[in-house]
Amino acid sequence: MSDKQNAQKSAKIAAGAVVCVESEIRGEVTIGARTVVHPKARIIAEAGPIVIGEGNLIEEQALIINSYPENIAPDSEGVEPKTMTIGINNVFEVGCMSQALKIGDNNVIESKADLGRNMILTSGCIIGACCQVNTCEVIPENTVIFGSGCQRRVQTERPQPQTLQLDFLMKILPNYHHMKKTVKTTSAVTPAKN
Amino acid sequence: MASLLQPDRVLYLVHGEKKIRSSLSTLYFCRYCSELRSLECVSHEVDSHYCPSCLENMPSAEAKLKKNRCANCFDCPCCMHTLSTRATNIPAPLPDDPSKTAMKKAYYLACGFCRWTSRDVGMADKSVASGGWQEPDNPHTQRINKLIEYYQQLAQREKLERDRKKLARRRPYMPLAFSQHTIHVVEKYGLGTRLQRQRPGAPITSLAGLSLKEGEDQKEINIEPAQALDEVEPLPEDYYTRPINLPEVTSLRQRLLQPDFQPAGASQLHPKHKHLLIKRSLRCRKCEHNLSKPEFNPTSIKFKIQLVAVSYIPEVRIMSIPNLRFQKECQVLLTLTNPVESITHVTLVGCEEGDPEDINSTAKVMVPTKELVLAGKDAAADYDELAEPQDFQDDPDVVAFRKSNKIGFFIKVVPQREEDGDVTVSFKIRHDFRNLAAPIRPSEEDDAPTEAIWLTHHVELSLGPLVA
Repeated sequence: MSDKQNAQKSAKIAAGAVVCVESEIRGEVTIGARTVVHPKARIIAEAGPIVIGEGNLIEEQALIINSYPENIAPDSEGVEPKTMTIGINNVFEVGCMSQALKIGDNNVIESKADLGRNMILTSGCIIGACCQVNTCEVIPENTVIFGSGCQRRVQTERPQPQTLQLDFLMKILPNYHHMKKTVKTTSAVTPAKN
Repeated sequence: MASLLQPDRVLYLVHGEKKIRSSLSTLYFCRYCSELRSLECVSHEVDSHYCPSCLENMPSAEAKLKKNRCANCFDCPCCMHTLSTRATNIPAPLPDDPSKTAMKKAYYLACGFCRWTSRDVGMADKSVASGGWQEPDNPHTQRINKLIEYYQQLAQREKLERDRKKLARRRPYMPLAFSQHTIHVVEKYGLGTRLQRQRPGAPITSLAGLSLKEGEDQKEINIEPAQALDEVEPLPEDYYTRPINLPEVTSLRQRLLQPDFQPAGASQLHPKHKHLLIKRSLRCRKCEHNLSKPEFNPTSIKFKIQLVAVSYIPEVRIMSIPNLRFQKECQVLLTLTNPVESITHVTLVGCEEGDPEDINSTAKVMVPTKELVLAGKDAAADYDELAEPQDFQDDPDVVAFRKSNKIGFFIKVVPQREEDGDVTVSFKIRHDFRNLAAPIRPSEEDDAPTEAIWLTHHVELSLGPLVA
């Protein structure tokens, strides 16, 4: 990473994204277009940058955190910052916590679900409410994890993208909340001209 | 200390066929027998059937016909949650003009918990919101129905034989009763004109009606016996080598909830209609009075008759326990609450040596010897500030506090056993009970409207472990 990227401390919010001022965004976070971040959502990039794609819906009290693994102290050297990537059309429902480093497209993480750092979600997965999943595995496509015992099943079609909800929120949220300023960038990789 | 209010701390003894000890909140009180009743000494009767999701009432006959299943609601075959109907807009060609397409609504079933949809099993979307969904037919239904008919006929025949034998034995002894029975039977089946003439030594006329009914049903049902096959279908060749697709395998529970098909693959799990629930009423076995009768309406949780013990018997609760030490006397604070509106007098008596009901106590208890007086429950006491506080002369050594219909009193406990486990004490509580259900006799003198009878209950308290 170039020095300029290391020096970037503010979030890069693409045009078209709706990010409320009351949300807490710390560290190097890139948010794509048509993404809605509700107030009181928290996106914290401690141990590396977070790149969030387009069309995502991050609801209140959701926590997306790129944190240091438990056995590594924050100040030790030789730790490579790993980027957390989140694809498009994902839904992070109220109160969920996600530490997974790679999340694909069209996933739904339901309320109070808990994703561990070593999980990799492909696309179309649904992590049910209050399910804690922190195994070290790749979840196959269209998997549903539900129930107190985290039972799994495969559904035949992926969950629909929440376009209706996103459109509604993008119209209504600015009426009631102040928004964070967006930055015009062509792509998330090029350094921002500040 | 919410743990002191747990229901299993204070147990009342119920005298029935079995001696049952359970908390007052789970017991009923038959005010005609003036005794406590538990769930095991009452008879349970089905009151009404209803569906738990659409709350629709169903008469018992209809419920039996539909095998106790609701007609409108479905259960998810995957997680047994209730299925909800969702609609999508599908472009479909208009019937008049095949070239134009209009948006039509198509309905499918979906589960909100595990995200199962009816499309997963291949069920087509229906154009009607409800009533379009059918359960798949069991291929063996015809054979099963035939077998059921045959066995019903067989059972009826056996019952007739039994009745015939019974009446044949009684015949020389009760000829009078007989003729009345004959008339009654004839009227029952409406076969007055088809009576057979009674011939001496012939089968009894009273059975004429019964045998004629069978005669109407003359066609005998014959069933073919089940045939055993020598050859069984061989297993597929890759049965041992094919890798298992785990999401496709059904769990035992999912399989057994559909006993007709018991599918091994998740793609054959069809939704089943939802099971009905019942409301039950309880009846005292001795006096046949109803102890609990719920309302007929499924949306109402009230009762028409509710003779629960907590509204008749004073309730003992533990308020605070000091540190219990082996063979040291400790004072435990208990409360007694009066549920009725009249003044109640309560006497506590310790259990004597060798009391057959006293099997669980591990400590000696000294209860107050004086009679405790409890004020009646006054619903308006909170709002009435001008009410004069009733003056009871309370011994401060015995009564700790008094608040409307509740008093707190002390008992002295000396734990006798040093082992692990809870310290348990038991005593008897004797109180007066005014039976308001008894009919009011026309009193010639100025009698009290209701006379009090004295009831005694055996109470056991679990006070917790010993402190070292």
